[in-house]
Amino acid sequence: MTKGWKKLGVSVLAGAMALTLVGCGKSNSSSSSDKKVKITIFQGKVESNKQFKQIAATYHKLHPNVTISVSSVGGGTDYSPVLKTRISSGNAPTIFSLAGPADVKQFASQEADLSNTKAAKAAQPGTLDAVKSNGKTVGLPFNVEGYGFVYNKTIFKKAGINPTSLTTMSKLTAAVKKIDSQKSKLGIKGVFALPGKETWILSDHLANLYVGQEFGGNAQKMYKSKSMKFTANKEMKSMIDLQKKYSVGPVMQLDYSAQVNQNFSQGKVAMIQQGDWIYPTVEQIDKKFAQNDVGMIPIPVKGYENKMPVGTSLYWGVNKNKSQAEQTAAKNFLDWLYTSKQGKKLVVNKLHFVPAYKGYTGMKMPDALTQVVFKYSQQHKTIGWAFPAYTGTSWDPNTFQPNLQKYLSGKQNWDTTVKNSIKGWNEQQASN
Amino acid sequence: MKNRSLSFWLFLTPTLVALALVVFIPAIMGIFYSFTNWDGLGYTEMLGFKNYITLFHNSGFLAALWFTVKFVIVTVILLNVIGLGLALLVTQKFKGSNLLRTVFFMPNLIGGLILGFIWQFIFTEAFDALGKAFHMAWLTGWLTDGKTGFWGLVIVTVWQMSGYIMIIYIAYLQNIPSEVIEAAEMDGASPWQRFVHITFPMIAPAFTVCMFLTLSNGFKIYDQNLSLTNGGPYKSTEMLAMNIVNTAYSENNFALAEAKALIFFLIVAAISLLQVYYNRKREVDL
Repeated sequence: MTKGWKKLGVSVLAGAMALTLVGCGKSNSSSSSDKKVKITIFQGKVESNKQFKQIAATYHKLHPNVTISVSSVGGGTDYSPVLKTRISSGNAPTIFSLAGPADVKQFASQEADLSNTKAAKAAQPGTLDAVKSNGKTVGLPFNVEGYGFVYNKTIFKKAGINPTSLTTMSKLTAAVKKIDSQKSKLGIKGVFALPGKETWILSDHLANLYVGQEFGGNAQKMYKSKSMKFTANKEMKSMIDLQKKYSVGPVMQLDYSAQVNQNFSQGKVAMIQQGDWIYPTVEQIDKKFAQNDVGMIPIPVKGYENKMPVGTSLYWGVNKNKSQAEQTAAKNFLDWLYTSKQGKKLVVNKLHFVPAYKGYTGMKMPDALTQVVFKYSQQHKTIGWAFPAYTGTSWDPNTFQPNLQKYLSGKQNWDTTVKNSIKGWNEQQASN
Repeated sequence: MKNRSLSFWLFLTPTLVALALVVFIPAIMGIFYSFTNWDGLGYTEMLGFKNYITLFHNSGFLAALWFTVKFVIVTVILLNVIGLGLALLVTQKFKGSNLLRTVFFMPNLIGGLILGFIWQFIFTEAFDALGKAFHMAWLTGWLTDGKTGFWGLVIVTVWQMSGYIMIIYIAYLQNIPSEVIEAAEMDGASPWQRFVHITFPMIAPAFTVCMFLTLSNGFKIYDQNLSLTNGGPYKSTEMLAMNIVNTAYSENNFALAEAKALIFFLIVAAISLLQVYYNRKREVDL
């Protein structure tokens, strides 16, 4: 008797559980009647979340059949776990973002071929290198970003230095010494602010100029390489040494916000190694300062004089496991955003994106830093971004960054740093 | 068995189902994944014990383990000594002892993340200013190397948690029957003798609880680590929990992280159980 009851109880319970599970699975189904399409965007540039939502609303007004919902999760390491969760739980987005070759490989089973989109055809040469998979283009760049030395125009003028003339290491060094000698007159605490706490300032951005050379600035090429020579390491050393020697200190206590908010934006240093993405932060702190005093010059690298490292940190991917109608709608939306007249205006004026696509000549970027990046990008005076090849791998956080930090804090000499870094890279690549 | 009736199972089912869904099934899946090359989405091959071999050779796991063990030893001692000290202090009868209890407990009400950021400011700005003003070089440059990072973490943890440990000791101290102490006093026992021979054995159960709490908390700590040093500089202050999170989320090596998490779990479970077993033996009943 008891046994019978037990059996009944268990089967009722199992049935209830099965129902719940079925309920979960079904929630994602959509009606495919009368061509109404609903697409979802899940992207990693959280600071542009509001703007993307407004653009989605605009698009819906023009194309009433297409409804787009946008959600965003920010930060380099937060996005991809959430995307994975959404894919495994059957709630995968139609459009998602990819951060480079490592992501392209990870999400290969989701990526639709975008080679035939208008946007892919309009993409500037080199911008699609990192998102080629078996000869197909699987990603479309959000935008391009650039970095260099962001400098304070007023301080440079007072010190009598023309920033655009600093195209070689020796000219830069001379200028830095000149500024340093008039520190008290100029009212600054140091020439640079080098944030030793932020590992990526050196390992990603600065190293790109010296490590990326041997791979032609091509992230995909570096990602697939079996070894690395790091021949330009001496030049990198002198650039780190220069920034460290003339930085406000102690460098190991400085982080991003100390560099940008507390030192540069308050006029306490003459220049910092940063990119166009800091503009909104500077503007928030001091609007007038941002409008009048901020400029950017390339970091001088031998053989690449007056060239700016310009590249893409995020790409759009379209989910090939969605219905054909959804995929087409997604591709049409991206084409509209980057190649239509209306879309281009939104890209430049609403998103403040420096375009990674052709056909934007004559347009004007809204702020001083993006204007510089746009100028270099239009004139093709650029160096590619190779560092996305390693930001998603264990070599960066486990080998390269700790070794650079050890050198920066004086715990290890440069030769060991270089040797460990090369050894770590070769080992990692050999096991892939 | 009389109680194994229908109602027994009915009442137990919700808990069992919940426990199975959120603990047992994920744990078993995790153990399975640690033998594969799982990347969070799927796996393509079985690796056998390869992840476990990598773990002990070249993954920062051993460095993080050693750092965590040192941290646990220091914090367990400091927390219990200071916690008991504070408890003895505020159980003395004097004006303001209630106020002091509140004050000592207060840091525990602030979340670990915020605490980390507050102390980061204290270490880098306040310590620096004091060091410069009084020409004490050891106060400058905090959190810029592994040593100051370690002591920074210890200070924050002890500051935050000793109030909580104090509360537990207070509860047990107040449970000691006053007759026993008075009898000892009559017999001529000095305050020190009363403490060592009466108070100390009487609060042995509190030791079991507090040791367990401080041990497991010390091993599992993550938020203070994240906000105070974020494992830096050069990974010198990366603790076990952080090493596991980083392996999974910033290096995209989910399977290796699973293997690490499993070893981590075994270590914490073994140490905590051993500790409880031995401390239980010392407890006395009246």
